[in-house]
Amino acid sequence: MSTFEDRKVAGLVFNIQKYSVHDGPGIRTVVFTKGCPLRCRWCSNPESQSPRPQMAFNPGRCLGPAKCGYCIPACPSRSITDKDGALDIDCTHCSTCESLDCTGACPAQSLITYGKKRTVGEVLDVVAQDAIFYSRSGGGMTISGGEPLFQREFAVTLLREAKRRRIKTAIETCGAIPWENLEEAAPLLNHVLFDIKHTDSERHKQGTGQANERIVENLNRLLDTFPELPVTVRTPVIPGFNDDEETARSIGRLLKGRTVGYEALPYHRLGTQKYMFLAREYPMGDVKLPADVAPRLQAIVDEERGAR
Amino acid sequence: MNDNEMLNPEACECYSPQEQRIIDQNQGKKDKYYASHARVFKLIEKFEGQTPFIDVERALYFTRSMQQTEGQPLVLRWAKALYNVAANITVGVEDGQLLLGRCGAKEGRYGILYPELDGDFLDIAVRDLPTREQSPAKISAEDAKIVMEEIAPYWKGKTYHEALNKALPEWVHKLTYVDDAGLISRFVVNETSSFRSSIQWVHDYEKVLKRGFNDIKAEAQAKIDALDPANPVDQVDKRSFLEAVITVSDAIILWANRYADAAAEAAKKCADPKRKAELEKMAAIARKVPAEPATNFYEAVQSQWFVQMFSRLEQKTGTTISNGRMDQYFYPYYKQDMEAGVITEESAMELLECMWVGMAEFIDMYISPCGGAFNEGYSHWEAVTIGGQTKDGVDATNELTHLFLRSKREFPLHYPDLAARVHALSPDEFLYDVAETIKYGSGFPKLCNDEEVVPLYASKGGTFEEALDYAVSGCTETRMPNRDTYTSGGAYTNFAAALEMALRQGKMKKYGDEQLGVKTPDPRTFKTWDDMWNAYCAQQDLFLRATFIQQYIVTKVRAEHFAQPMGSALHDLCMKHCLDLHTRIIPEGANFGYFEFMGFGTVIDSLAAIKKLVFDEKRITMDELLKAMDANWVGYEAIQQMVKNCPCYGNDDPYADQIGKDIDRICVEFGKVHGPEMGIWNDVRYVPFTSHVPFGKVVSATPNGRTEWFPLSDGSSASHGADINGPTAILLSNYKTKNYGLRNRAARLLNIKFTPKSVEGEAGTEKLVNFIRAWCDLKLWHLQFNVLNQETLLAAQKDPQKYRNLIVRVAGYSAYFVDLSPDLQNDLIARTDHDTI
Repeated sequence: MSTFEDRKVAGLVFNIQKYSVHDGPGIRTVVFTKGCPLRCRWCSNPESQSPRPQMAFNPGRCLGPAKCGYCIPACPSRSITDKDGALDIDCTHCSTCESLDCTGACPAQSLITYGKKRTVGEVLDVVAQDAIFYSRSGGGMTISGGEPLFQREFAVTLLREAKRRRIKTAIETCGAIPWENLEEAAPLLNHVLFDIKHTDSERHKQGTGQANERIVENLNRLLDTFPELPVTVRTPVIPGFNDDEETARSIGRLLKGRTVGYEALPYHRLGTQKYMFLAREYPMGDVKLPADVAPRLQAIVDEERGAR
Repeated sequence: MNDNEMLNPEACECYSPQEQRIIDQNQGKKDKYYASHARVFKLIEKFEGQTPFIDVERALYFTRSMQQTEGQPLVLRWAKALYNVAANITVGVEDGQLLLGRCGAKEGRYGILYPELDGDFLDIAVRDLPTREQSPAKISAEDAKIVMEEIAPYWKGKTYHEALNKALPEWVHKLTYVDDAGLISRFVVNETSSFRSSIQWVHDYEKVLKRGFNDIKAEAQAKIDALDPANPVDQVDKRSFLEAVITVSDAIILWANRYADAAAEAAKKCADPKRKAELEKMAAIARKVPAEPATNFYEAVQSQWFVQMFSRLEQKTGTTISNGRMDQYFYPYYKQDMEAGVITEESAMELLECMWVGMAEFIDMYISPCGGAFNEGYSHWEAVTIGGQTKDGVDATNELTHLFLRSKREFPLHYPDLAARVHALSPDEFLYDVAETIKYGSGFPKLCNDEEVVPLYASKGGTFEEALDYAVSGCTETRMPNRDTYTSGGAYTNFAAALEMALRQGKMKKYGDEQLGVKTPDPRTFKTWDDMWNAYCAQQDLFLRATFIQQYIVTKVRAEHFAQPMGSALHDLCMKHCLDLHTRIIPEGANFGYFEFMGFGTVIDSLAAIKKLVFDEKRITMDELLKAMDANWVGYEAIQQMVKNCPCYGNDDPYADQIGKDIDRICVEFGKVHGPEMGIWNDVRYVPFTSHVPFGKVVSATPNGRTEWFPLSDGSSASHGADINGPTAILLSNYKTKNYGLRNRAARLLNIKFTPKSVEGEAGTEKLVNFIRAWCDLKLWHLQFNVLNQETLLAAQKDPQKYRNLIVRVAGYSAYFVDLSPDLQNDLIARTDHDTI
């Protein structure tokens, strides 16, 4: 397809984050896209899971109906009311609401929309603003999510157009996608960040809602088919799920003999607030991960896979 | 995070080394550099945390001489007054110090007075300084008496400030001062020339190191001998200038010799053989320099120190006298002594750090309330420049460059103000060392960009060699020491007030019914964005006219009030034309003046909000907006939120940045036309010191959601918390609001706050280096960092005793956080910090 057609392809994007320095080489911009096949209990981007735009409510920013109230007449289903001076939102219709006009009317960014339709051209114009930083640092664009390849056409087109503009690319994938999606994206990528969350399929299913066979198979096929493509395997270290030595050893065995990078990422609770905004309960409660666990497991994986 | 965690910096994930040092100290651990820097730590213990004392000796001996020389040429009077100071001021040797030279008798932290500048404030100062919120200072009862009875009375009616106050046309005066006597600043078109005898300055120190004052004196004598006996200009103007050069050379040599005597005397009495030897060596060096050329590193350092301290006696150079390219002019001596094995890195660093201690003890005292508000936290910019390029345009870094950076990480005080010149080919070896030092967290070094400054200065009157050899001077400014000749402080112009006037028909809430600005139409009648824009431009234009007229008068009045014989003796053009550096126009000189744009982010964000909400989207009416601001947003919180969520400067958002670029262009073009009429460059600059705090105190609520009397945005940084797209966007907004096609621009100050976590480890250093390289590519003028946790600042505010040593980057300088007023502390806390996702 021509660059003119590619630029018009649209997808659902919920955030574009500049100056990201922990998601691939150099200084990067991360494009967060909607939709994910997994439902990880610890997910730090709960707003990424649904493939549709979503309304969210941050009560901390709400001025209250007495001082504001712009949202009340804006709601097409009249589901927002003033209840004793506080906003009362009946969310029955929100999941099917096409307009989400309440979020546009809110002056305080208390009612917000997660996920807006953006074309490849629009996204790349934003990404390209930081081009000077990419060329100085070896950085570029990372597509994250959600699962970036969940919106296959959008992601692939975005990557192709980025490549045309000489912007280096990476994706952060959960691997739980059809092989064809990955196969199509891989030649357009300079780096893949690939999550392996567990080696035991049953445990994987308990934590994420999905078995892991396809994920492991996709990783192996990726490494076999595109041996030149740099891959970093990453494991979010989750308390009670995969923070034990045996799991680390089995991940190490899986990667033995492979030329990949590996990172054990410590569990963090930065997404907690967003569950509240989405009126969802945070499944992890208040568990914490001691600071020394991730580095220790990292060392075990590296030892087992024969790195260093 | 709950409140307790917020206030517990020990719960942070990652600390800067500075924070770690403070934590260690609070846990009673000895500083890890104490043992290797024992001499300077002991010197510092004597004055750390002290409220400075005012030392009156300089003012007294200066005044006594001036009383006796009335009617003589000013430059000669100045030289004689300095001779009187040199002959009478107390000289002494400090225990443990390796360098000689102080500006008075007081021990510890001290500042001195310049009554010729602003002596009409002295009575206010003596009354208020001990209790002033910003940068207080103590004075003994005896000294207060000397000030009130001997010094101040002589200068009544004679100071520069009084002359300026009388010289301003009424309408300009009204924008400058509130009261007739000019003692209360208006903070609208604010003059800054009366709280410093000169703006920042750099001497050609190398001249002294290579030639010595005896040779400079001989040059002046030879010129006198060659004067035409029949030429009245030669015999009157040139002769008095040259005689002043001789007198001032004699003065500094006499002063050094008195120190030599004092050291020799102390050596005689000293029982400790090690110290005795040190004192004897010090005496011998002071006997030799600065009269004669320096022949080794120690002599070079002592000679430079005498010159910079004598410069402080000579005049109040605003923001403290700068030190030029120290890693260049000291290098030949350093290299020679290192190769000969006479010194080590440690001994060289100890000597330099003795100098840093001397700098730390001297306080650049601002006695007027306005000067105090501009320079909170005992501001100081004795800029020591490192790095950059040679006159030939190749990289200039050397071993000494790295020693300065190392000292910056190990020496515990925020002295000197270290400035690193960066260029396209700065080696990684240098930039990584710079980044590691920035990561230490106390704001050093600040960065200055050769790729912006060198071509600009070459196009504005320097040769390429001179431009390549520039030195950082003061806060963010730069100098070509033998080409620049401009010394008048520029106007600080409050364009946020212009915006307020555009919305209030030329009036301000703070000043009630006074018609200060243009009576533009009632904004409720504005039909289009153009109407709004034109009203703002009308006020901005008035302010620009006032700015330039004020400055022209400043340049004329100042030349009649100030002279600088030593500074002139070190300047090629002054010696060539036999003119004092304060002369209004010096042939062949480049007059790099500037005026200050106050509230850039505030104005851009406000205009963007009006444009978007009132005219583009019509979500609110002008009437609603005006009422909301009048009420300081109380009852109009929804509108406040609406305006806050409009496009803001600092986010690489073209909607906002285009407005900024247009505003900048008006200023640049005004300077292009009207600067040459005055014979100077009077170019727009974005460097507020700490003045965005007092300037904010006269501006009521602004359309960007800012509440009344809150600080304005600082320099070319974004409004508080408005920059939500990260640090790359801040740089790009800066880039996109500059008009690179024109050259009538001066410095832009840019603050960026990082959390230690975001620059953690070797990978963090690398990313910081890449960030700096991209900044260099963008040809931005200046950049400085705070690397610390928000929690640390909050904790320091709550428990100042524990955080006495916490150093933060304020404007172009670093200061102790606890020395700042609560307003400025809050201002720093409100600056967005950049973490990573």
